[in-house]
Amino acid sequence: MISAIYTFAMTTGANRVIRGARIEHVCGDPSLGPEKDYAYGMRIVRKALETLTVAVSGPTLFDPQAGDIQEPSHAS
Amino acid sequence: MRLELGSFPVRTISFGPATRWHAGHLTVDRAAALAEVRRDPRIVTADLELAAPGESVRIWPVRDVIEPRIKVEGPGQCYPGICGRDVATVGEGRTHRLSGMGVVEVSSVNWHDAGGDFVETYLDMAGPFAEMYPYQRLQLLCAVVEPDPALSDESRNDAVHKAALTVSDHVARATAGLTPPERETFELTPCDPALPRVTYIWGVHSPQAMSGSLTAFCTATYGLTQLTPPWVLHPNEILDGALTGPYRTAFAMSWTVANNPLFLDLYRRHGKDWNFLGVIVLRTEWTTQHEKQMIANQTAKTARMLGAQGAVVTWDAGGNEFIEVVRTIQACERLGIKTVFLTSEDDATDGAPTMLEPLPEADAIVSTSFFKNVTLKVADPGPVSRVIGLDRKVVHRGSGVGLHGGSDSALPTAGTLPPPWRYDDHYGFGSLSCIE
Repeated sequence: MISAIYTFAMTTGANRVIRGARIEHVCGDPSLGPEKDYAYGMRIVRKALETLTVAVSGPTLFDPQAGDIQEPSHAS
Repeated sequence: MRLELGSFPVRTISFGPATRWHAGHLTVDRAAALAEVRRDPRIVTADLELAAPGESVRIWPVRDVIEPRIKVEGPGQCYPGICGRDVATVGEGRTHRLSGMGVVEVSSVNWHDAGGDFVETYLDMAGPFAEMYPYQRLQLLCAVVEPDPALSDESRNDAVHKAALTVSDHVARATAGLTPPERETFELTPCDPALPRVTYIWGVHSPQAMSGSLTAFCTATYGLTQLTPPWVLHPNEILDGALTGPYRTAFAMSWTVANNPLFLDLYRRHGKDWNFLGVIVLRTEWTTQHEKQMIANQTAKTARMLGAQGAVVTWDAGGNEFIEVVRTIQACERLGIKTVFLTSEDDATDGAPTMLEPLPEADAIVSTSFFKNVTLKVADPGPVSRVIGLDRKVVHRGSGVGLHGGSDSALPTAGTLPPPWRYDDHYGFGSLSCIE
């Protein structure tokens, strides 16, 4: 699941959570202009696809901008 | 900071040759009030109409309901900072209010084009909704205005809200030289240090994220609607209209903010049952995890710096805004501040939780019921004899599941309509109980 509110996505039980940009534009940033926006969005989407190949034992966070941050779920 | 609030009860309103209040009756010089409204060249059409409790009348579209308030002593202007008004800090001196009435802002102008925030509220003065909303118990003076359609969204919003405030000011001015029949003094007097110290964390929606504008019209603090850090307001500032509506739900109007029973009870019991520290206004609809968690942390920190041992928390929105509200509660509890949360609930269909993110720290919750009227099977309001405003009511997809479910349509306002989509009682006005 790609989400701007990523810890909430994890508490809902999504196994692979990819940190998105903002609620109003989860996979991009229009303020960057068309080219950079596209590249930024592609980075998020590619990371989402790559995580499908990664085995996880529970809700896990992936951050497309900062390498892999893998955190345990904050589910409560 | 001391404020005397003088109330002039309004039991009847009629049009007459001069605007004056006498013994519970308000006479309104319609031509004079409309002349003031038409001084703004952005206004194309303007009219005033009256609606009284029990009448077979429907008002549509309702953008705001405003209680007329005017400062007669002390700095500033009531409802400060809005539509170009003075931003001087309010809350001192004497303020007059016309109680038991509201000026209704009636116009086709929508909040903004983005985000699906449509003006949805209509008011019936009789029938099934008379018990649900507080406005049907008021004498209503409706300002029906349309601005120049060539103007921008924000200019049209500003124009129609300014027109409603102009009408509100016009009638409130009639009390300026009179002695109020009811007076109440509000002051945060020093009190017994043994009393528990309590603050009110008052969440209000910001339209910034969904509109993409820093100045889109909405719930305002001194006229500002943008996403801001928490504001600490003296409760007297609230009484002078420093915090105002409207947001899209029927309970997020300026009138309900000014008459919030939870806020007034917190203030009136100051020095008796607790030490009321004031109001922290929490802006909601931040759109990243970082922002939501930060505003929650900073709001809780502000409460602690005020010395709070307890906090009452409300909000006026729905959806993702729940996150920063419930995380503020969590952050407060982690700092040792006990919280009570007053909220409406979400759709529990198929066993879904009625709160978006139930956190264990939010363990003292007062429910003001469940909001979706179609699921509650609230009866469809039947035909009415008279309409104030537009004669067609747009029913948006999803707001009329059942009778008119599926597609958008425009129905005669005077006929049978689907019930208002939402019933979010943000401040505890209503008498509905929760779903267990």
